[in-house]
Amino acid sequence: MKKEISEGRIKLEEELRTLIGNIFVPEAKVFGMVCGCVGFAADLRGLQSDDVAVFREKIAAILEGVSKSVGVEPEFVYARKLPGSEEVVTLTARELCERCRREFAGSKAAPRPDIVVLKKKK
Amino acid sequence: MTRLMVPHPGHFPALKEIIEVKEAEDLKEVEEVFMGGSPEVMGSGRGVLHAPLIDEIREQTEYAQQHGIKMNIALNSTCLGGHHLTFEGYKMLEWYFSELNKAGVDGVIVAEPYLVELLRDFPMKTIVSVLSYVDAPQRAKFFEDLGADVITVDTNINRHFELLKGIVKAVNCDIRVIVNEGCLYRCPFRYFHYNLASHLSSLNQPRAPLFAPDFYFDKCINIRLRDTVQIMKSAWIRPEDIKEYEAIGIKSFKLSGRTKAVNWIIECMRAYSHRSFKGNLLEILDCPQMLRYMFYIENEKLEGSIEQWKSCKKRCNECGYCAALTKEVLSYLK
Repeated sequence: MKKEISEGRIKLEEELRTLIGNIFVPEAKVFGMVCGCVGFAADLRGLQSDDVAVFREKIAAILEGVSKSVGVEPEFVYARKLPGSEEVVTLTARELCERCRREFAGSKAAPRPDIVVLKKKK
Repeated sequence: MTRLMVPHPGHFPALKEIIEVKEAEDLKEVEEVFMGGSPEVMGSGRGVLHAPLIDEIREQTEYAQQHGIKMNIALNSTCLGGHHLTFEGYKMLEWYFSELNKAGVDGVIVAEPYLVELLRDFPMKTIVSVLSYVDAPQRAKFFEDLGADVITVDTNINRHFELLKGIVKAVNCDIRVIVNEGCLYRCPFRYFHYNLASHLSSLNQPRAPLFAPDFYFDKCINIRLRDTVQIMKSAWIRPEDIKEYEAIGIKSFKLSGRTKAVNWIIECMRAYSHRSFKGNLLEILDCPQMLRYMFYIENEKLEGSIEQWKSCKKRCNECGYCAALTKEVLSYLK
């Protein structure tokens, strides 16, 4: 797992750099939440919401690939903006618990204004 | 008629979804929404997830009003660092209020008494925030005289019925109660936590990174984990108990939770509109939401507890009601 996370971070950074430009991924992690959700998250710098809008599908595909490589089913893939700005600071792929499937990913709108939904498994 | 004000996270699709549910399910009491304003002007009592520009506020306000919903903007910072009392600050605030007014906004929620006065120059409703800590008829009268159209009372007195009755009697403006706040009763961190939130949600940030990004929140959770009776003593109001507040002349209720997910807000809106909720009460409490993962409070089992709280003298060391109730209704989730 350590190797996959490390490789996933490098892969994500490289592919985002190829796609967009000078992107930095300082940290990547696999997480487990109290509610039952598990996921893969990467903190990043240099990415903006416009980039995400233009390359939505490609970024989602990269993240899905990395997520699967660390054993997380990418059910809900999203970007989180720095609140009140256009800077994207985290990309997350999450395997949802029942509650979050309904509450976090169940609305037509993004669950919160700082979240940009990249992919939602039907 | 009773009115319910619902939180709006700020992005337009969320507003549309909230209104869609209100209309589809005919939730008549939902009359108003509120969202944060621009952090460039000032912070507020909650974290900023969205920074709407005036054009967006105008667009959303028009949409809400077309659907019979009033739009309020929360600018309830408790600390502006004195900026509001400089000529530059005064000019900026006057300009911003004027722009909100031109955008058609129905009401502005403020905590600072100076801003209550400043809003007199505009036709928008002046809504005094819960963060003005109005907890007595005297204080309510002060704010009414300053220009308040609506006063949101300090949640610390949600279960002090004599005080609430006194406030309703003392003023002519609307009295509003927040129903789903789960903060610690008489929390020692309250003023400091909101001052911190006001700074962190504005451009007026601390000069160096914080070693504990939300120190007060962490303390708050720790206290409840060690002493679960504090959860029971909090000022939340069950959906079923709204009628007790109506009986003393309170007709305006507010749901807290504008930093939460849209579907969570919608679930709360449903529960309080229907005046009924089955399940873990912690599911519909904002602040701190985290407790719902640790504890289960069966809402039905709380039926009748309001009778005790209506006449509670708040001498916990002599009473023990909340401690006994906690043992009866609170269980630990595995």
